[in-house]
Amino acid sequence: MAGKPVRPVNAIDQTRRMLSLVTYLKERPGARVEDVARAFGISEDELVSDLDVLPMCGTSFRGGDLLDIDTDGERIWWHNPAALAAEAAEPLRLAADEATALLVAARAVSTLPGLRESDRQALLRATAKVETAAGEAAGASSRLSVTFESEGGVFADVDRAIAERRRLWIRYYSPARDEVTEREIDPIRLVSVGHTYVEAWCRRSEARRTFRLDRVAEIKILDEPSAPPEIELRDLSEALVQPAAEDPEVVIEVGPGGRWVAEYYPHDSADELPDGGLRITLRTPDPASLRRLALRLGREGRIVSPPELADSARQAAREALAAYDGMEAARTAGVAEDVRGPHAVRVVPDGPGEGPA
Amino acid sequence: MAIAKAERLMNLALCLLGTRRPLSKRELRDSIEAYVEAFGPGNGTTGSDDSFNRMFERDKDDLRELGLVIETVESLDGEIGYMARRDSNRLPPITLDAEEAAALGLAAKVWQQARLAGAASGALQKLRAAGLPEDVDPYGSHGALEPRIPVHEAAFEPLMLACRDRRPVAFDYRKATAAHPEQRHVEPWALECWRGHWYLAGWDRDRGAERVFRLSRITGKVRSRGGRYTADVPDVVTVRETVASWAGEVADRSARIRLRAGAGYPLRAKATSVRELGDGWDELEIPYGHGLDAWLVEFGPDVVVLEPAELRADVVDRLRAVAKG
Repeated sequence: MAGKPVRPVNAIDQTRRMLSLVTYLKERPGARVEDVARAFGISEDELVSDLDVLPMCGTSFRGGDLLDIDTDGERIWWHNPAALAAEAAEPLRLAADEATALLVAARAVSTLPGLRESDRQALLRATAKVETAAGEAAGASSRLSVTFESEGGVFADVDRAIAERRRLWIRYYSPARDEVTEREIDPIRLVSVGHTYVEAWCRRSEARRTFRLDRVAEIKILDEPSAPPEIELRDLSEALVQPAAEDPEVVIEVGPGGRWVAEYYPHDSADELPDGGLRITLRTPDPASLRRLALRLGREGRIVSPPELADSARQAAREALAAYDGMEAARTAGVAEDVRGPHAVRVVPDGPGEGPA
Repeated sequence: MAIAKAERLMNLALCLLGTRRPLSKRELRDSIEAYVEAFGPGNGTTGSDDSFNRMFERDKDDLRELGLVIETVESLDGEIGYMARRDSNRLPPITLDAEEAAALGLAAKVWQQARLAGAASGALQKLRAAGLPEDVDPYGSHGALEPRIPVHEAAFEPLMLACRDRRPVAFDYRKATAAHPEQRHVEPWALECWRGHWYLAGWDRDRGAERVFRLSRITGKVRSRGGRYTADVPDVVTVRETVASWAGEVADRSARIRLRAGAGYPLRAKATSVRELGDGWDELEIPYGHGLDAWLVEFGPDVVVLEPAELRADVVDRLRAVAKG
């Protein structure tokens, strides 16, 4: 489903919001529900639920003067603004968590290398002003920091292409295949989750694709207009790569030294093994792309299934080793300079004691 | 139906903010409908006093959490009164132009962690009430830039609070290569997010040294420990440098490899020199830091390490393990 995720009602957040709301509404008789909800970054339903609570509130120890606030669904009317003394309706200072949340986020966004310079300057000015206004509450914000990574030049081009609605040509590196391919893409949006990605409609595959900016080897803005089909934007908060249920299953067993696999690869399950390792089950549209992982794991893990994947990793390792055998032999023979590469070496299949399992 | 907590907190806040003199607990209890309904009038004789007191203390803590400074004043006759003075609760004057407002609006949306997302919106709402302009949104026109700070680790919130309040903690931590977690006692200094993962820097009491922990490797609950910090907190905490060295980003040597033409783009992107050998292979000079052997093995038969011999031996060793697998 598109749109805002439904947030559970949190009494602290709601109280905080209502305190700001009374200050805001006091100066704006007849404010429109739509405008106020937008200004507060909440849904109209959330605002209406606040407006249901406010008439039950007041400084009642002075004799029952509750806030007489109501709405006809379109505008908000406050019939007795004097019920709240001017001093009780002034904007409140920032709490430590509020200052931390806003300042850490602002500093992080200002590190985005592709941010437009005018926007960065505005953000830095705003950050300085908020720091001053927050006073002591700003102190704890130095205990949290976030750095976004992205390729500055690529980012700027993608950002411009989105603003000008133009198509992009890229050379893109795919680690799964270890190859660089050319594509034309219609960019939709930039997303930073640790790394920075562009979500786009790929004209080559005629499908939605997510490209990591640090894997863009080359980029050009084309003259053609960008025309991505209307697609529903996904909530990317969980994972950028979401395997489909029908994707083939891969089972990997790792020792303690290979537990990091569970941190880096979205998986269906990771079961503890008696030796401190894990049995990890994941799905991927293209199991062959995991050959790199199998090679990297070395003695720290092995592919249990599919068997073809395990075979291809073994085969790749043997081919790679053959080059070194040749090199050692050549060195011994004193002709190291003549060894130009593994092409000169015949791959010896299944050396002694290394037959297929 | 019990009166909603938000309504009770709101009434308590408005009472404390609106008063010009300290209000006693009794006065507050008698004037806030939610307290009257739950506990009856405060005549000081019923057993409900204890539960009222507990609720009242929790409510004050909640209001402090959202930034209210509540003063406790003792009157001449020894009675305790409470008030939230205007001068200590007022936001100092702050004027932001439309561009600055839009930039902050973007920043306030980046948290994907409930507590900080709520706090960031709360900050923006307070600024909004103080006159933050709301009409222009340069990003709204195309919505291109969507930075998000991911927080998937359960240990994040307790550690964030521990860093904020400078509280020692204990947790079970499984090192990258360890079979079993081990309990660690830490004085937390700072949290840092790098490449989408969160790390904690702090003083490791067991090791008697500064350590960096990856939050995803903390198993089970983060437990608070009493007492003060025993080690000085440095002015600048450098989490990223430590993590970068784990990740092999800090290279002090260089290596020479052969790479099949057209393969290994990321190796080429890092290379300090690339020479075409003309036989379908290129020779590259690349920085040699921690973890390079594991990375090179990923390229299988498309990479041959020439030197140093130590790196070549590591790569061959890894390849042998896979070939036997």
